[in-house]
Amino acid sequence: MIKIHNLSKNYGKDVHALRDVNLHIKPGEFVSIVGQSGSGKSTLIRLLIAEEKMDSGQITIGGWEITDIKNHEIPTLRRQLGVIFQDYKLLSKKTVFENVSFAMEACGFKSSDIKKTVNQMLSLVGLKDKRDRYPHQLSGGEQQRVAIARSLVHKPKLLVADEPTGNLDSINTREIIDLLKKINNLGTTVVLVTHDRDVVNSLRGRVITLEKGYVISDQENGKYLL
Amino acid sequence: MTSLFRIIKFALQGFFRNFWLSVVTITMMLMAIFSVTLLVGMDYIRQATIDGVEQKVDILISMKPEIDKDKVETLVSDMNGLSEVKSVRIITPEENKVLFEQSNLDDNTKKALEIFEEGENPFSYSLAIQAHDLDQYVIISEFAKQDKYNGWIEDSTFRDYETFVEKINNLAKMVNKYSWYVIAVFSLISIIVIFNTIRISIYTRKNEIMVMKLVGAGNWFVRMPFLLESTFYALAAVLIMIAIVYFVISFLQPSLNTYFQGTQVIDLSGYFRNNFLFIFGVQFLVLSFLNIVSTTIALRKYLKV
Repeated sequence: MIKIHNLSKNYGKDVHALRDVNLHIKPGEFVSIVGQSGSGKSTLIRLLIAEEKMDSGQITIGGWEITDIKNHEIPTLRRQLGVIFQDYKLLSKKTVFENVSFAMEACGFKSSDIKKTVNQMLSLVGLKDKRDRYPHQLSGGEQQRVAIARSLVHKPKLLVADEPTGNLDSINTREIIDLLKKINNLGTTVVLVTHDRDVVNSLRGRVITLEKGYVISDQENGKYLL
Repeated sequence: MTSLFRIIKFALQGFFRNFWLSVVTITMMLMAIFSVTLLVGMDYIRQATIDGVEQKVDILISMKPEIDKDKVETLVSDMNGLSEVKSVRIITPEENKVLFEQSNLDDNTKKALEIFEEGENPFSYSLAIQAHDLDQYVIISEFAKQDKYNGWIEDSTFRDYETFVEKINNLAKMVNKYSWYVIAVFSLISIIVIFNTIRISIYTRKNEIMVMKLVGAGNWFVRMPFLLESTFYALAAVLIMIAIVYFVISFLQPSLNTYFQGTQVIDLSGYFRNNFLFIFGVQFLVLSFLNIVSTTIALRKYLKV
């Protein structure tokens, strides 16, 4: 699903965010990427969604090499991914339903399909009864569930989650992780970036550890090392 | 078609759901077009006043009492031959007498007529001559001073107006020249205000734009609702401006009519009615154009996500 070869990214001359990173994530995997602040986790996500350009190396997602991706191709790439963020990144002036449907509308889906799929997704994340509420009327956990519904609504093969539980309490964290596992069980590849030790250890899956931009560990059934 | 519908839907949502932002943006635009509309209205008042004064100015030539109607008609015919002359009106001795009796002169002055016997009229023929342009009165006045008419003309009252006409004319030319500078300066200020208002409006919604991009929306899918929304701002500002103009005129026009003694020298409501499409149509088009350009420039930065 994702192949990363000798990937490097620097900010100026002295800040090396990623150095010679090599990774291969297979379809259907649930991979946790861990590391302390400044280890390069978020930079890796930004490169995967083409929010930034790499300095050297190669990234291939689902067979598409995005190393030299053109600006006009970026929306197409993002429509093939699902991304969730620590701060949810919901559209504050749109309702729950509209936030989720926006991703499909941007892809050009038909209105009838959108209505059906969005309602299905909202049922999956347990928010069908709150479809007409605005983000500020929801709890943090509910907002993150809306973001998850939005990221999945166009049925991506890969879901990238950047610290999705960073702003949540332990109960909501558990709910979100359970939801991600459920999504993974349905066949979606999940890349989870986190620094939450308990979350990583409870998953008992593949754990990639980054430190100072290097991959220092890549273990199947791994644990939080740092 | 579906995309167009979605773009309109998003534009309307953006317009109404960011209500206070829309109110502030429209208010700023309203202030900008208000200053331009005010200047346009004042420019009309200035022009109408000058036209009104011009219409009232004429040369009044009083003929000597012994001059008969044939000679008067000869002078009228000669005057009509001048391209500068717009109209010549003959005032008969009888009409002059009536005008004298109906004038605002005090009673003692009017009693002077009593020394004349019944049926005797001391008044002579007069000519009221109007020119096409204020500058042309001097030419007409010089024409009347020819030797040919020396024994015919008792007096020409244009000299009384000469300084006044000259001053009005100079003032009109000066105001004409500078009013366009003032309109240009106000327009420039308006453009700067509108550009920055839009920039601030887009800045406050930069996160929204970035999120749209991050979930896979293309540049045009993000941009179009904002562009359409900016034309909604223009439309709302112009509609409010129209309401304000007609509200103000409904109060102002009767006062103007009273001031100019019902002659409607300044017909503001007629002016705005006759030039409705030009004034407000151009305002809408220019405002929309400015908004679209400003929005495009302001959005560019945030679309790079």
